[in-house]
Amino acid sequence: MSVDPPHTARAAASSDQLLAFVQYLRGKKIPVSPADTLDAIEVAELVGYQNRSLLKNGLAAALAKSLHELSVFEAAFDDYFQPIPERPPAGGQSDVEPEGSLAEPPEQAPQIDPAAPGEDPLDGLRGNSLFDALESRDESTLSVAIETAAAEAKVEEISLFTQRGQYVRKILDALGDEALREAAIEFEQSEPAAFEAVQALREQLRERVRDRVERAYLIHASAATEDLLDESLSKLKLGNVDHSQMARLKRLMDRMARKLAARHGRRRRRYRRGKLHVGETVRRAIPTDGIPFHPRWRKIERKRPQIMAICDVSGSVAAYAKFLLMFLYAVQDVLPRTRSFAFSAALGEVSDLFATLPVEEAIERVNLKYGGATDYGRALQDFSELALAEVNSATTVIVLGDARNNQADPRLDLLAEIKARARQLIWLNPESTRLWGTGDSEMLLVKRHCHLAKECNNLNQLERIIDKLLSDKR
Amino acid sequence: MSDTHYPALSDIDAIQQAFESAGYICTTRIATVVRLAAALEKPVLIEGPPGVGKTELAKTCAMVVDRPLVRLQCYEGLDESKALYEWKYGKQLLYTQLLKEQLGDVLDGAKGLNESMSRLHEFGDVFYSEAFLESRPLLKAMEADNGGVLLIDEIDKADFEFESLLLEVLSDFQVSIPELGTIQAHSKPLVFLTSNDTRDLSDALKRRCLHLHIPFPSVELEARIVASRVPDLAQSMTDQLVRFVHAIRSLDLKKAPAISETVDWAKSLVLLHAKDLDGSLVRDTLNVLLKYEEDIQIAEGQLPKLMAAAAG
Repeated sequence: MSVDPPHTARAAASSDQLLAFVQYLRGKKIPVSPADTLDAIEVAELVGYQNRSLLKNGLAAALAKSLHELSVFEAAFDDYFQPIPERPPAGGQSDVEPEGSLAEPPEQAPQIDPAAPGEDPLDGLRGNSLFDALESRDESTLSVAIETAAAEAKVEEISLFTQRGQYVRKILDALGDEALREAAIEFEQSEPAAFEAVQALREQLRERVRDRVERAYLIHASAATEDLLDESLSKLKLGNVDHSQMARLKRLMDRMARKLAARHGRRRRRYRRGKLHVGETVRRAIPTDGIPFHPRWRKIERKRPQIMAICDVSGSVAAYAKFLLMFLYAVQDVLPRTRSFAFSAALGEVSDLFATLPVEEAIERVNLKYGGATDYGRALQDFSELALAEVNSATTVIVLGDARNNQADPRLDLLAEIKARARQLIWLNPESTRLWGTGDSEMLLVKRHCHLAKECNNLNQLERIIDKLLSDKR
Repeated sequence: MSDTHYPALSDIDAIQQAFESAGYICTTRIATVVRLAAALEKPVLIEGPPGVGKTELAKTCAMVVDRPLVRLQCYEGLDESKALYEWKYGKQLLYTQLLKEQLGDVLDGAKGLNESMSRLHEFGDVFYSEAFLESRPLLKAMEADNGGVLLIDEIDKADFEFESLLLEVLSDFQVSIPELGTIQAHSKPLVFLTSNDTRDLSDALKRRCLHLHIPFPSVELEARIVASRVPDLAQSMTDQLVRFVHAIRSLDLKKAPAISETVDWAKSLVLLHAKDLDGSLVRDTLNVLLKYEEDIQIAEGQLPKLMAAAAG
């Protein structure tokens, strides 16, 4: 067991702790770059580890880059650097920890009765460095010992919650708990007082080690578990998402939307300057004797793509429509002129609902208003009357539906007309491709009249389609 | 750590006090970030709703360190000729015209094109020298002898390209001018950027900055701010007023009143010699606080509740 001088051990532990905290933040999906980490270390050196709120404010400035990240950061900081609870008044006379500093969890050592008569059976154990450290409650020696043992046991490889016990055992072994256990067994019959004392110290040690392992789990494994959950959720059929997963799904979707918006928002702003505007340049050159000091450029008028989403909101498909609309409105920044229509039997425009209400509520209303037996023919008819005149070469029309029309006429002629006018007609079908054309599905016919027909029933597919939509700009 | 440039900013408590005596009441978080910005020589990106004192922070900071404030207001279409530097075209032109006559003297006795050219080359960059360089805010801030405070206001209004332009300035405190070379800041200015969050800023820009989000203040803090700005208003009245504003902020409004509006309201109440916050007074002066007709109507509908909140 290596024992460093206390203060260097503390400084090293602090900056290690900071690095582990950065790891923890990354697990919480705050992107922290190595440069940010260096900043954080500099900040921490500057403000010190003593004052908790100071450290929190300082680190927040370096690590949290937006309001959203700030709230995540604050929660994470509080979780990670838990303030030390009040020490039990008994025996807390020696070490004065500044309140709220970042120390190891508290120990609750029952003082060993100092008035033990005669020779102390514990004398046999004195000299064992672990026992001495525990008995004298040598904070820094213990922390260092536990850190060393934790490293030896490779605690950072923990991946499942159920592995905790196993790692606690490993660390205890590495610490040399064995010797204490044997001593305890020895005392059990002969020296009940000594037995109690040793067991209490061992329990205290075990408590600390358990804490250490749990922290390691939080840092290293919970992030991995979260990733796993996210990944499986983004592959899950959206129709099967149950209520308990909604919050996570929404988070996931928001993150995807942010990513897409960031990626494509940028592209849109490029190439704004067009060719030289000769006339205006010459005119402006008159005062300078015909020398064109101030060239004028034409502006390129970019046709922003407009999305018109036509969604089937009848029972089987409603869930998917909901997600498509949620996604489209989440990328509103980049696709500002999205119009949405909902139908089941009749069709109506629902853009206003989405503009004024939160998405979930809007969906509820839509379902209420336009629910009923599906009729694609009538829906397309209604759409043509409502908005066909505004479909032009900048419009992308997305239809979401299973194309199961209860044997009625799907009005493919209208679809063909939309295709002819629109820049793009995309049909998204939540059913898997194998089922297209079976039963009353008109999908195979419909497919011919679309620029693109795709299966779309999970978040990954949805993201890919919206990504495609956004990158397809002139 | 070079605290030498701005000795006034080397201690958090001192910063708070200095700011307070300059009329800006700030939280420890704000003071901490200002302290870090001075010590780490990093720009501060301030975000928050309009009217919480983002711009004011930079101004106060300039006052506290007693250095000039260089302000760059961003808008769509802002480019390097407005933000960094520009060549004085007019002057260049005028000088070429004036010096036309001198040309004969310079070229006197030169034989052939090559010789004339090499003569001219000797005068090469006369027209692209500092004498013809018009410094715009960013360059001005770099050139300031003793440092200073650079405020880049509403960076979110500028185009995306402009952000990239800023990167060199923000991380290396230098400006590259192709004709002259690189101009390095004599002593690094304190840089504040403000954003109203109308769009996401690029990661590259965010990475170079310390972050400060200023939310609406707590009741106590706002009462202190109002008291320092409008000392003529009675204490009890200030408290009532601030509680009222806080209650209004919790309503679903188009634009929630900011600190500046609270202060304006307090000032108008002083002008009206109001002794107590009563219903009719509030109704008459609500337009100071709320800027949209719909908002005023919502607030009037909730008036009894708001008054109750104000009474505490």
